[in-house]
Amino acid sequence: MKFDSIKGDSAQYRMLMIVFAAMAVAGVGSTWWAIEKGLWVTGMYNRVPWGLQIVMAVYYIGLSAGSLVISGLYGVFGKQEYKPFARIAVYVATLFLIAGLLSILTDQGRMDRVFVEPFVYFNLQSMFSINPILYIGHILICIVYLWALFYEKKTLTKVIATLAFGWAFCVHTGTGAIFGFGARVLYESPLLPAAFVAAAMASGTALMIVLIVGLFRFTKRHLDDELIVWLGRFLAICVIVVLYFLFVENAYRAYVVELRPAAIYYLFGGFHSVLFWIGLILVGLVTPLLILFRKTTGQSVPWIVFASCLVIFGILCERYVIVLPGLTHGSEIFPGMHITQSVVEEGIASYDISYVEVLQALGVFGVVAFMFGWGLKYLKLLPSEARVLHSSSTSDSAGNKT
Amino acid sequence: MDRRDFLKTAGGTLLAGTSCAYAFRFLTSAGWASADIPSSGKKWGMIVDLTKCREGCTACMDACRHENNVAHFGDERWDIHWIKKVKVESQVGHKTMEKNVMLLCNHCDNPPCAQVCPVQATYKRDDGIVIIDHHRCIGCRYCMIACPYNARQFNFRDNEEWPNKDRPKRSHGVAESCTLCAHRLDVSRMPACVEACEQVGAGALLVGDINDPDSNISKIVTTGAVKRIREDLGTEPKVYYIGL
Repeated sequence: MKFDSIKGDSAQYRMLMIVFAAMAVAGVGSTWWAIEKGLWVTGMYNRVPWGLQIVMAVYYIGLSAGSLVISGLYGVFGKQEYKPFARIAVYVATLFLIAGLLSILTDQGRMDRVFVEPFVYFNLQSMFSINPILYIGHILICIVYLWALFYEKKTLTKVIATLAFGWAFCVHTGTGAIFGFGARVLYESPLLPAAFVAAAMASGTALMIVLIVGLFRFTKRHLDDELIVWLGRFLAICVIVVLYFLFVENAYRAYVVELRPAAIYYLFGGFHSVLFWIGLILVGLVTPLLILFRKTTGQSVPWIVFASCLVIFGILCERYVIVLPGLTHGSEIFPGMHITQSVVEEGIASYDISYVEVLQALGVFGVVAFMFGWGLKYLKLLPSEARVLHSSSTSDSAGNKT
Repeated sequence: MDRRDFLKTAGGTLLAGTSCAYAFRFLTSAGWASADIPSSGKKWGMIVDLTKCREGCTACMDACRHENNVAHFGDERWDIHWIKKVKVESQVGHKTMEKNVMLLCNHCDNPPCAQVCPVQATYKRDDGIVIIDHHRCIGCRYCMIACPYNARQFNFRDNEEWPNKDRPKRSHGVAESCTLCAHRLDVSRMPACVEACEQVGAGALLVGDINDPDSNISKIVTTGAVKRIREDLGTEPKVYYIGL
């Protein structure tokens, strides 16, 4: 099997790269504005101290972990027919982890201290200290993994792929624990880290389906439909697991008397509830499931790609409805009583996404999309073809040495 | 030694040195920030007597803001209050009860904010005061998420006011909360809020050493007539309320 890069001389490619660069510049500009003016310009405030950037960070880290799982189909499970996608999957995993880290970085009050203090004074009791260790390990593993794939190091690929596969689970478990081990009513849940892993696998698989089909179609390479159909089935299973976790989580909250008000707020309490029911449940999970399980649409690549796009959108909504309602709901300082007068906002708080946050989020996406485009042109990421291997004696054809 | 050997040796030494440094940090991480400070044997606590707190009085809030240069923009979203007064309503049978309650950092014995701080900028002093090193805080705001009392705030904006030149000007990008006026307690002065409450003649606030059995605060706490907010959380707050 041969891998090569794209020429990158088409007008579409150039146009896309210009758009991504412009997005990145907008992101840098809005972040500079937030540093210069103070983080208040993002719309966050003392009652809602985290906003869209944290939502995006969690989302990107999930996409990264999920992409790595797809690369594991070849590296860990030795499924030779998925070898063509392994390089792209690991490269995307690396880029999206960088995106996650950039999102976190741009959200800090003192960015100038982020590169020193957390590594000098780390606190192993804090999920915020444990996670950077996981993220840096994740990036290093991805780089070694890519190197092993590029230079066709079979044994190293298997070892590092297995490590990466396990690490990806740990990474997103850790990310989920930031919230799940937190003291807020709508965060606190031992299920959350596992639910995060499920969401990561769903969104990562969906992203890989869209990317693979898109890239193969645009560069006119042969791609056997069966490979995508199988990934579609895998995606359907991930979506079912996500739904299952969501159901258990919310059923528990609705069942326990003490948590019922929080459950009602979560499910029927405002904009986030609309995102939950419409964006996540209906559009992001149930509709893709119907598409993937129907015989005609579940076998059709365009339909599977459409379902994947819906899942990518749905999981973004899921990240929002995890991060924000937990903050707007607030802490119960006086159980059984309520605060009627205060100098600050008490009770249920409000939160609106600001244009600064949107620009920052687009900027981070622009950076990684540009790096992805650059990688396609200068790295041998794309295979010449991807075919189903029908014989069991699959010999690995010599890959080209870069 | 050729270049390769040199790089190997240098890399190995660097790795080993870093590992040793981090291993040392692991082993001494608990309370390392105050490791060199001799123990005073004190444990500061506060009593808030709600029965003495006067309707409409904001003396403690004003004094705190002036003493510590606490940021105030006239916008409740970004205003900072190290101490704040809220009205709490509860239903007792057919009767609706209303109380004024002062809320501030509880200087917990098990502070969740210090547990989650990724750079140990928030730490508990030997005398029990939970405090933030503003020169180390990276502004991640995880402590705000962890604090069950909403006592933590963040400088989302730059504050131009600087009424008390003896205390640092507040800068944006770091978390804030009540320090129990540690700078005053360290020189045997009472916190600004306590002093202000005394001056208006209410005397609703009292700060003292809980470890000293003869202190006023100890005598009141041991009567059992005090309550703490959300004792069920296991944070062991050191702000006690009379009449809550």
